[in-house]
Amino acid sequence: MKVIEITDVYKIYNSSEIKVNAVNGVSLDFEEAEFAAIVGPSGSGKTTLLNLLGGLDLPTSGKILIDGTDLSLLKSSQLIDFRMRNIGFVFQAYNLIPVLTARENIEFIMNLQKMSKASREERSFELLKAVGLDDRAGSRPSKLSGGQQQRIAVARALASKPRFVLADEPTANLDSKSASTLLEIMEKLNHEEKITFIFSTHDPRVVKMAHRIITLEDGKVVSDVRTE
Amino acid sequence: MIPEIAWKNVWRNKSRSLIVITAVTIGVFAGVFTIAVMNSSVVQRIDAAVNEELSHIQVNNKEFRSSSDIKSLIPDYDKVVTDMMKAPGMQDLTGRIIIRGIASTAGRSTGVEINGINAAKEKQIFTLHEKLIPGTGDFLDTETKYNKAFIGEKLAKELNIIRYSITEESLKKLKDEKLPGEISTKLIALKGERFTSDKKFSRAVEAVLLPGEYRKYIYLIKEAAWSYRPGSKIILSFIDINNNQTEAAFRVSGIFRTNNDMFEAMSVFVPEEELRQLTGIPENSYHRVIGRLKDNSLSEAASAYLKKELPGYEVMQWKEIQPDLAMLADMMQQIYGIFMGIILAALSFGIVNTMLMSVLERTREIGMLSAIGMNRNRIFSMIMLESVFLSLTGGLSGMLVSGIVIAATSKNGINLVQYSEGLEAFGYSAYLFPTIDAPFFIMTTILIVFTGILSSVYPARKALKLNPIEALRKE
Repeated sequence: MKVIEITDVYKIYNSSEIKVNAVNGVSLDFEEAEFAAIVGPSGSGKTTLLNLLGGLDLPTSGKILIDGTDLSLLKSSQLIDFRMRNIGFVFQAYNLIPVLTARENIEFIMNLQKMSKASREERSFELLKAVGLDDRAGSRPSKLSGGQQQRIAVARALASKPRFVLADEPTANLDSKSASTLLEIMEKLNHEEKITFIFSTHDPRVVKMAHRIITLEDGKVVSDVRTE
Repeated sequence: MIPEIAWKNVWRNKSRSLIVITAVTIGVFAGVFTIAVMNSSVVQRIDAAVNEELSHIQVNNKEFRSSSDIKSLIPDYDKVVTDMMKAPGMQDLTGRIIIRGIASTAGRSTGVEINGINAAKEKQIFTLHEKLIPGTGDFLDTETKYNKAFIGEKLAKELNIIRYSITEESLKKLKDEKLPGEISTKLIALKGERFTSDKKFSRAVEAVLLPGEYRKYIYLIKEAAWSYRPGSKIILSFIDINNNQTEAAFRVSGIFRTNNDMFEAMSVFVPEEELRQLTGIPENSYHRVIGRLKDNSLSEAASAYLKKELPGYEVMQWKEIQPDLAMLADMMQQIYGIFMGIILAALSFGIVNTMLMSVLERTREIGMLSAIGMNRNRIFSMIMLESVFLSLTGGLSGMLVSGIVIAATSKNGINLVQYSEGLEAFGYSAYLFPTIDAPFFIMTTILIVFTGILSSVYPARKALKLNPIEALRKE
């Protein structure tokens, strides 16, 4: 079942002097529960493609359908709501809310979705256990290591059971042990929760674990390989 | 959830928030306390005017105020009294005979208003008897074979009834009042001299003290050097009901001190029956009937009722008798508004600045919140609540501090005796008892919340304009 359909998408940035084709005629599909990595050199358009998939940016031309919904047809407020309900984000710099505890960070989106307290607590403890941080539920981000923060960020991204999770260089700031732990957790959750994971990455460890590797160069897909 | 995050965000940068909250606290305290002090001077002035001079309602013969004619009496006093007692909130009333005359002593004379009163009744309506200077006698209470008069301190000074001298006793009083020893030493030069007027004594003291010392201690020195011989005699001359020039000697039964120099200088109170006998005004005839209401706020209703019921008379409430006081009360309300407006506007700039810094520091975080699904309304609410919490915390602590300081100062009053001569010339007390009413506190709280909301608009709009992608890219 297709979760994402990208058809002939272009993203052109027009600065005053030069025109940049950040995404240059990309067409891709993602199935449910995929564990895919988008790789390529810096400036190849990985992050731009991820932003387009996440509805944070709109394509100059082409179509992106998420579960059949064309993102370019949604109003700004509808797009925010759509993101909240369907897409989980994991950022390179973790971006947890510093004034909230680990558990509160995980519950944040569920709170925005007005889920009941009991459901929120049940889900947040389930995820804290899944990422191996159930003993740090009450800790604020400043009291957690980088790896622990990123694991909480993954838990937050999965909290409301989105259709897919977009992770932009999730291991870039982590040491190898933390990165391995994080990847194992993500793979396990991908398997258990049947949620699609799409990474943009330079990290060979991520590439090694990915089930599908999409290589971008100059905004174009130059290879799309499934490893299993 | 949004209020909880907003509150936590306020305390993210503790020192910055505390500085803003302290600034708001000081600003609100400065505003509220200054207004309480200004308010006290007006409230005290109005209270003094109502309780000592005017009461709430006066009914006069229609011609009396313009002509001051002794014959402008209230003809059917009993009917007027019956009607007045029916007025809303009327508690008590009394009649007064009021004539113009001249008060004189050997070598001094001055124009006065002579009030023939029923002393017992007056005590129920006015508090003037409480203004008797201790040791100067009583409020027309003691029965003597002489005519008696209750006069103001200012008039007593005008008529040279009050004398000043530096004696052992006055120096002891000054020592008890903590007058510095070197000042007392300088005053010894005046020992033994007797000054017949305030002016002469002031000049003599000025000559022995430095200007700063004089300004600071003259009030205290005068109080200690003040002396009066009980039963001093004054002559009151006036025209009687048959247009004959009449004069009679009166013994001063007591001297009162109020905050109104003009009232003190102009008013002489004598027993009604003595004046009736001297002027030939018949029994049960008065120039004015004065009514005391249960509450000042009933003045309008009572006045309207009596104007309808007594069309042949001049019915006036205190605001009409002294319109300057009513105008002052109204004007003060406007001044309070302007004053608080300026303070809150200044505070709002501080809050805008802090909130703007806070938003710009959190660009990436706000971008992330928008990316993961926090909509514009929620982001706006979060920033607005942070601003409201900041201003409200400062505002409430400012009002708490104000409340404590007002409660403390209203107990003993703020001593402005150094400026008493100037203040009392305009009817204001040299002791201010700061006061503020509950609606003012409530209104100020609402204004502070409003300021917080208003101050959040610009920073919140700035936050809403952030593009999540650009915001997330920020380091």
